Amino acid sequence: MGKKGDQYEVFVEMGRDTNGEMDAKIKKKKKVKKKEMLEGMKKEMEIDDHELTIEELEMKYSTSTTKGMSSTLAAQVLERDGANELKPPKGTPEYVKFARQLAGGLQCLMWVAAVICFIAFGIQFAQEDLTSYDNLYLAITLIAVVVVTGCFGYYQEFKSTNIIASFKNLVPQKATVFRDGQKSQINANQLVVGDLVEIKGGDRVPADVRIITAQGCKVDNSSLTGESEPQSKGPECTHENPLETRNIAFFSTTCLEGIATGIIINTGDRTIIGRIASLASGVGNEKTPIAIEIEHFVDIIAGLAIFFGATFFVVAMVIGYQFLKAMIFFMAIVVAYVPEGLLATVTVCLSLTAKRLAKKNCVVKNLEAVETLGSTSVICSDKTGTLTQNRMTVSHLWFDNHIHSADTTEDQSGQSFDQSSETWRALGRVAGLCNRAVFKPGQEEIPIPKREVIGDASETALLKFTELTIGNVIDYRGRFKKICEVPFNSTNKFQLSIHELEDPLDLRYLLVMKGAPERILERCSTIMIKGQELPLDEQWKEAFQTAYMDLGSLGERVLGFCHIFMNEKEYPRGYNFDTDEMNFPTSGLCFAGLISMIDPPRATVPDAVMKCRTAGIRVIMVTGDHPITAKAIAANVGIISEGSETVEDIATRLRIPVEQVNRGDARACVINGGQLKDMTSDELDDALRAHPEMVFARTSPQQKLIIVESCQRLGSIVAVTGDGVNDSPALKKADIGIAMGIAGSDAAKNAADMILLDDNFASIVTGVEQGRLIFDNLKKSIAYTLTKNIPELTPYLIYITVSVPLPLGCITILFIELATDIFPSVSLAYEKAESDIMHLKPRNPKRDRLVNEALAVYSYFQIGAIQSFAGFTDYFTAMAQEGWLPLLCVGLRSQWENPHNQEVQDSYGQEWTYSQRLYQEYTCYTVFFVSIEICQISDVLIRKTRRLSVFQQGFFRNKVLVTAIVFQLLLGNFLCYCPGMPNIFNFMPIRVQWWFVPVPFGILIFVYDEIRKLGVRRHPGSWWDKELYY
Amino acid sequence: MSSKEDKPVEQSQSSWKDFIYNPRSGEFIGRTARSWALILLFYLIFYGFLAGLFSLTMWVMLQTLDDYTPKYRDRISNPGLVIRPKAPEIIFNRSAPSEYKEYTDHLEAFLSKYNGEHQQNNIDCTPGAYFIQDNQPLPKQVCKFERSLLGQCSGITDQTFGYSEGRPCIIVKMNRIIGLKPKPTPFINCTAKKDDKLSVNYFPENATFDSMYFPYYGKLAHEGYVQPLVAVKLLLNSSDFNKKLSVECKIEGSNLLNNDDRDKFLGRVAFQVKVTE
Repeated sequence: MGKKGDQYEVFVEMGRDTNGEMDAKIKKKKKVKKKEMLEGMKKEMEIDDHELTIEELEMKYSTSTTKGMSSTLAAQVLERDGANELKPPKGTPEYVKFARQLAGGLQCLMWVAAVICFIAFGIQFAQEDLTSYDNLYLAITLIAVVVVTGCFGYYQEFKSTNIIASFKNLVPQKATVFRDGQKSQINANQLVVGDLVEIKGGDRVPADVRIITAQGCKVDNSSLTGESEPQSKGPECTHENPLETRNIAFFSTTCLEGIATGIIINTGDRTIIGRIASLASGVGNEKTPIAIEIEHFVDIIAGLAIFFGATFFVVAMVIGYQFLKAMIFFMAIVVAYVPEGLLATVTVCLSLTAKRLAKKNCVVKNLEAVETLGSTSVICSDKTGTLTQNRMTVSHLWFDNHIHSADTTEDQSGQSFDQSSETWRALGRVAGLCNRAVFKPGQEEIPIPKREVIGDASETALLKFTELTIGNVIDYRGRFKKICEVPFNSTNKFQLSIHELEDPLDLRYLLVMKGAPERILERCSTIMIKGQELPLDEQWKEAFQTAYMDLGSLGERVLGFCHIFMNEKEYPRGYNFDTDEMNFPTSGLCFAGLISMIDPPRATVPDAVMKCRTAGIRVIMVTGDHPITAKAIAANVGIISEGSETVEDIATRLRIPVEQVNRGDARACVINGGQLKDMTSDELDDALRAHPEMVFARTSPQQKLIIVESCQRLGSIVAVTGDGVNDSPALKKADIGIAMGIAGSDAAKNAADMILLDDNFASIVTGVEQGRLIFDNLKKSIAYTLTKNIPELTPYLIYITVSVPLPLGCITILFIELATDIFPSVSLAYEKAESDIMHLKPRNPKRDRLVNEALAVYSYFQIGAIQSFAGFTDYFTAMAQEGWLPLLCVGLRSQWENPHNQEVQDSYGQEWTYSQRLYQEYTCYTVFFVSIEICQISDVLIRKTRRLSVFQQGFFRNKVLVTAIVFQLLLGNFLCYCPGMPNIFNFMPIRVQWWFVPVPFGILIFVYDEIRKLGVRRHPGSWWDKELYY
Repeated sequence: MSSKEDKPVEQSQSSWKDFIYNPRSGEFIGRTARSWALILLFYLIFYGFLAGLFSLTMWVMLQTLDDYTPKYRDRISNPGLVIRPKAPEIIFNRSAPSEYKEYTDHLEAFLSKYNGEHQQNNIDCTPGAYFIQDNQPLPKQVCKFERSLLGQCSGITDQTFGYSEGRPCIIVKMNRIIGLKPKPTPFINCTAKKDDKLSVNYFPENATFDSMYFPYYGKLAHEGYVQPLVAVKLLLNSSDFNKKLSVECKIEGSNLLNNDDRDKFLGRVAFQVKVTE
């Protein structure tokens, strides 16, 4: 640990001290292992430049706040630090990625099998002992299967593009810089630490900048911190945390308005966003749960295949077969036992679900993520833009001593408040007039809430609100001609304007004012109640205080509104209003009311959160926003449920100190970034365990990552939703990252596995449902696929040990695996859920495996065994009816397979040439094939359900499955009866009655499985249930 | 660091041991003795039932079979041809009896069942007509095929079957197929492949498989059935010695196939002969 600490120090030094001794430190840095570097980066970033005075800053970076750096020094620094741009990480070469796809467990086995085939073919060819090209065909087919599956996988991987590419787009093109006292425009990538730069409204901040001077400068930090409001920037240091302080502007954020100059303190990869970028690309892609499951059972299957193959290789050698022959047996057993079509089936099933989700606006980038959502047990959701609309909206009004709710839904479908009161007219008038925001032109067609506005967030909210309630505000403002105005500033904290009245006969002037509620109240002497001006006494002041507190506790931003009609005698027409002198009344006004605003939750979110809860999924809010707002939204959408209290709430209610509260009593918990910084990972784990309802506020990107990791440590499968750049490391780290399609930044979209095109959190619920369904259905599909491996394997085992003529050939096996059985196994993906899967808890990734022991045992040793018996019954029937009685078959192999013996006698004394025997063998292959097909039809029917009776599930409800069965039968018939098949693919036109020999076994499978399900349903928890439910 | 790495290894070892036998729960490979007994009993019953079902279906299937004729003859509508001595290449030095003894012994052994003493019960049939006995009682009667019909190749006059003079006898035999009735009477025609001229003598002289030997009624019903044979005496000259001759014999003059692409032995047989002096 000590060692790690040291290296962490080195890294922190890097961030803090970027001049001098840099070279030495870079060398040191290289030694630091990447993983440990990441550990370091997860800690808070240490920047102290915001706390330095201007002089110290000039010293530190050898620069000047008036003239900028000297060009020569700048060139040196550029040489030392490199260009101001984000470096793309080294990717894996494409051919390595492709090769990896060809080198999985099953793939390797198939390569070995193909090589054995080639060798066998080569030896037979060299010895001129060639009786057929089967081995060559087989080798080619095996290689084709591996390559095609590999290409498929490679294509899937190829689609998830490189993450850093999107960060590149954020780099600004040009920047205004002062060097040698000269102002000039240079390419932003030429900027260095110490450069003095100028930023104007509309620019992107070219690097991390310490602000020196600023005029009305506002920066949109939402992509970095998730704050929905623009942040004012100024020269003063307001917070020790560099992310919170006002005097640092960050690389890639946008300056919305105003102008500022500042000194660059970090460039390129060392900027905050650069670190997030390297954090995101450094975070390893977690293996998806389904990938782990598939790997798990592929390993088992590969192991078993080798075990069987090796065992029978040894047995064959002991019995006295040639080495080559024994190798071919090994190969054949591998081919028979390995489910070649399985990986393709899984991929197709997943892409079907992905398609289904795409129709519901969830686009999946990584196919396996489809299932991950189903296993998700924790959703860490960003607030802004995900749970909320990312749009300040008027939510409450207080007038007539009553809090009224405004409609905050996106489509204005909600209830509006009573607008008949005279007071509302006054309040609405103030809100409409005392407002500088205007709609951008040409948006008449767009619904009001979605229109773009020039102006800050709260003015925008008020503009839209008044437009909705009063109607055409611009026209309304025109009727009240504006005489003069005083814009908002941080010292007086109000904004006022003076208007003429609508009625030309009324010569009074109207003064309207809005601002911080307490400041507005100070200036008022009356209050309007039900249209009457009443004196503002203590009682009303108390009422005001209560309302203000109530609205504030909802996390809403509250503004106060007041007005006064100015006496026409004192202020006649043409009176010269002087806004600097304030030669008009600014006190003794009439208080009209309060309006509060919030970024409201999306309408569909509360319901979706509720559904997640029912489905046993915990929703945690992780946001960069303030704790009070976060908590209010959390309570609003149900992340903190009704009646849940935090430790602080309990303390206030019981009037006891926070320390005395029993932590276990508090279901909810709000932790902010500052607290989180001081917590060890164990403490965080404890907090996550102790409180089911969690909200994290003021978190940095690194902290989001830590929270995700903590959840994963507790064994959860974590989904992260987010839209900002700040979310991208957490999105990448999550088991499934979900990005917003409309609001989401490119970085977030690239880091995510899934994108919600309509930004609708509720789509996640659909995703969860589909994910759970596909897990169940994949289980069925795999069970179906695995079953037939036994009837494919047993012919070889019997062939080797009992020396009967071979009942089933390798090429026929490949036809079952890759042709006839693919469609039915895929069709199981269309099966409806057996029960209400959204009322179950998420699966436990350690306990509820995709392929468990019961599934394998039931498929292999029970259904597979019945199928084997069916196959052998049909095989012996076909042999006996053609003249080879079962007892004669035993031990017949060496004569049967001797190509030089043209007169082998059957049980009736007839003599057969080699070719005649070969066609008889192909007949056996076909008969065995048909038996497996018939049994597999029964198998696919029983796999429709694991617990319910097939009759309860509906026999024909899955139309695709019915089609698949028909298709399977048609394909089987085609293979059997198409002319030319015997010599190409070893299928023979068999007698029709041999199709019916396996039917009783098919019925047995169906009846037996119904009995099994009946037992499982009737006696849950019994021996039968434990052993036979998969 | 090293101690950290060691720990899981130990743990995995102990959990592996626990898996084999866990003394605390008494579990052996994941199951207690009782659990093993139950599951084994289950599988005993399960497989017992399956084996029973299998045996039953096999028994029912065997009941439907006829003891005398197979149910279908889908794969053997045409007979294959084979030769005696049974070898793809016949190579010998005519003056070294040890080299061809193998062949002559083989022929002698093969023809021994055509000896008179084995055919005492066989009857003389009418040549040129099928010997139909569908409604005759069992066992079916067998038409006599005298070894003497093979003349010089019968081994009666020349016990070396012509091998000593470098004019070896090859006996062509047609595979037995139940119920096969060649129409009209097939005969054997042997030619040299390539352009080599080859003169042969056939025994019987018309080189036919006479219709009276058909149809065959199967091993059980037609016990002692003797297949008709055609012997071919290759009349090699001194110019034919010391080189490999490829000979192909085909069955001709009937409805039997002799030119199947895949089956080189259906109605035809090819072999090579090399006689040295």
